[in-house]
Amino acid sequence: MEEKTIVFDPVLCTGCMRCMTTCSTYNNGATSLSRARIHIMRHEGHAITRIDEEDELIFQAFTCQQCDKPYCSYFCPARAIARNTETGAMVINYDKCIGCRMCIVACPFGAMRYDSTKKQTFKCQLCDGDPQCVKFCPQEALKFLPKGMANIPNIDRLSKKIVELRPTIAVEVSVTEGKHASS
Amino acid sequence: MPVPKGYAGKVAFIDLSKPEARIVSTDQFFAEYGIEPRLWLGGDGFIAKILWKDITKAIDPLSPENEIVVATGPYTGTAAPQAGRSMLGCISPETGGYSSGSFGWYFPATLKYAGFDVIVVRGKAAKPTYVFIDDGEISFHDASKIWGKETGETVKAVRTELGERYDSEIRVLSIAPAAEHLVLYSPPAGDATSCPGRSGGGTVMGSKNLKAIAVRGTGEIPIHDPRGLLDASYRAVKKFQAEEPTLKLWKEEGATTDLSVTAEWPMTGHELGVNRDAADFPKLNNAGCLNCHAPCYHWLQLKEGKHAGLRQLGGHMTYITTGLRNLGFEKFDDWIYYERLTQELGLDPASFSMAFSYAVDLFMKGILTTEDTDGLVMRRADGELVSEVAKRVSYRQGKFGNLLADGVANMAKKLGPEAIAIMPQTVKNKPSIQRDSKLQALMWSFGALTNPRGGDWLRVHNVWELAFLPESRDTYPKYIGMTNLQLYERSLELLDMPMELKKQIFGDPPKTDVAWIRGTNGKARFTVWTENFVGLFNTVVTCMFGAATQFMIVGFGPTTYAEVLSKITGWDLTYDELMKVGERSVTLQRAFNYRLKGWDAKDDKFQDKAAYEPGTVGIYRNRIVPWEPILKEYYQIRGWTPDGVPTKATLKELKLDDVAAELNLTV
Repeated sequence: MEEKTIVFDPVLCTGCMRCMTTCSTYNNGATSLSRARIHIMRHEGHAITRIDEEDELIFQAFTCQQCDKPYCSYFCPARAIARNTETGAMVINYDKCIGCRMCIVACPFGAMRYDSTKKQTFKCQLCDGDPQCVKFCPQEALKFLPKGMANIPNIDRLSKKIVELRPTIAVEVSVTEGKHASS
Repeated sequence: MPVPKGYAGKVAFIDLSKPEARIVSTDQFFAEYGIEPRLWLGGDGFIAKILWKDITKAIDPLSPENEIVVATGPYTGTAAPQAGRSMLGCISPETGGYSSGSFGWYFPATLKYAGFDVIVVRGKAAKPTYVFIDDGEISFHDASKIWGKETGETVKAVRTELGERYDSEIRVLSIAPAAEHLVLYSPPAGDATSCPGRSGGGTVMGSKNLKAIAVRGTGEIPIHDPRGLLDASYRAVKKFQAEEPTLKLWKEEGATTDLSVTAEWPMTGHELGVNRDAADFPKLNNAGCLNCHAPCYHWLQLKEGKHAGLRQLGGHMTYITTGLRNLGFEKFDDWIYYERLTQELGLDPASFSMAFSYAVDLFMKGILTTEDTDGLVMRRADGELVSEVAKRVSYRQGKFGNLLADGVANMAKKLGPEAIAIMPQTVKNKPSIQRDSKLQALMWSFGALTNPRGGDWLRVHNVWELAFLPESRDTYPKYIGMTNLQLYERSLELLDMPMELKKQIFGDPPKTDVAWIRGTNGKARFTVWTENFVGLFNTVVTCMFGAATQFMIVGFGPTTYAEVLSKITGWDLTYDELMKVGERSVTLQRAFNYRLKGWDAKDDKFQDKAAYEPGTVGIYRNRIVPWEPILKEYYQIRGWTPDGVPTKATLKELKLDDVAAELNLTV
């Protein structure tokens, strides 16, 4: 079976961070945001701009992409990070991990994190093939898809957008031709 | 006794006069205040217990003796559904009695991640100050440079000054100019987004020279049964999504269009639904607080009008209701701008719009003239005028700004009998959110009479009568593809209430029809149940937008809370036990007000005359609302005396023996 990965749809996300509370509760037995293996990056422009400025509201999920060329693993001097062939997840072997944080340096996404209490790094390991963040997202903004299908949500959204945009395009054309859009 | 699971573990007592912070473990806090956590949970329960011990006689709400209590609950910050909420309590500057409000976004959860269940702020700072809770450490900072800034700018300045390490890491509960100028009805705002509305807590913070409380939290909350909690949380939300009839409406329209608007009931709000075309919605979905599956914040941008291009996170119904009813707004961009402006200035939209509306009425009667209004010609449906007045009130500019800043009740008192005769709906010196109490249905309006914090109905807020519109008003059921009758039957079946109680309220077999809606049978009992239920979720603490009979018809009930809380805490909680927690909290708030202000039946009255006259629209068109008989029944069901005071037996049954002793009750 083709390896799967977590796909995030920023249009559907409401920023509720249930993925994060679920992840930490499931994997650590206690709820936190700091020890979740997925992170919702936020920009809450409304809270920091003046009333006469344009502001922006952005939510973006960051988590391990389970890369085909996993730099975390390449950089690990202890050879502690290896792929689980069943789930496709890059998994840390804590018997080998020396807590050097080289994987944090290596990861292009900031998906590797360090727990200073346990003195170990941690990352998304796809909850043994059933990622709980995907299951619990109330808006279905997170999906668990075969890597080859990772672009499907975008295609789906854009195709809907095209349908939406068509009348606008028609109106603009008729306006340039000097006609009224509707009688 | 170890701190139960689900609690963060510490409580902070912050004395601004010194300034210093005393941090105690949560179990020591329980011991100091005689709190058995299972009986009180958190939120309003803790606030009531704290104020009951600390404030035993009437005080000037703007004196250093007043306290600001931020109390989370065992739900807050966990993986429970809608876990982003907290309560903020104080003595109300408007009423002089108990006050609290619920707020969310991400300050409450972050406070728990920082390790704190409750913070109590006392005294008064010598100069403008803000407090920073950085995980376990609390420090005091000079706010002189930030004083005077509006809400959003304050958040930005505090985050910058404290060296936020990434966007939105530090959460800021702050006040704005209205609170600094001690306008009596100013709430603080969490991250310029969510306010404990109607609490007046911002004004109290202003009186303490406390500009903001900032928090950074990187810790975790221990959970008794983590996998069990996830399972319960998952099932609860799935069930909600499958069964809640209003969810379709909520998802499509969100809080910009509440039931009453879509149903055209009985406000003239329908055009606003259409007017949503006046804005773009750059995000397809709404935004919400922690773990919310029914998020209510619209992220919208105005397309036209003077404020074209303005973006706003909100579109909330309090602004629709008050904008429509009190300010007479007809244009979407007017009320969105008004929402943003009042957030930035720190004005409670309900109290402010009621004062504005009252001023219009007084102006039309000639009781106020342009001499009193500093030259303004008062009228409704004028966005520019509302903005101008909002600014004058927030900065207490001129005679007129000062008049409105003291609120409806003080305006009436100052202007004399003619003014008192046309007062808008007010109870215990606190205006409601709409001019006419009878525009909404019986239980809805009734909540204002018994609400411990004064004249708003948010401590009952039962939409049951509103959602099931009699006769031709069936827009809402049609919207979700049902008939009125089908919606009734389904909702009654799903309502989380024991059959025995359903029979008492809705008859045997339980049935809701037009006669039930127009009548009074079962209404007092349903009101009591709802008030206890609201009392419960304000101790949990969770959101009213997801709760049964509130904005949702079915929503979450006590059974869901019991199941989820049991997994969090390890207590084997039941429906009945939790409903008692709600009742206990409501009753202590009542007893608190009785001891502090002597409030009893004589104060459960509307101060306006209109409430006792026949209505002009809706169920009570040409009819007088039977307030008194329902109130009498309400006291009886509650086990209170005909004077509206809890009896010794009732208090004993709620394990409030100490309260009974303290009040020296004879019955």
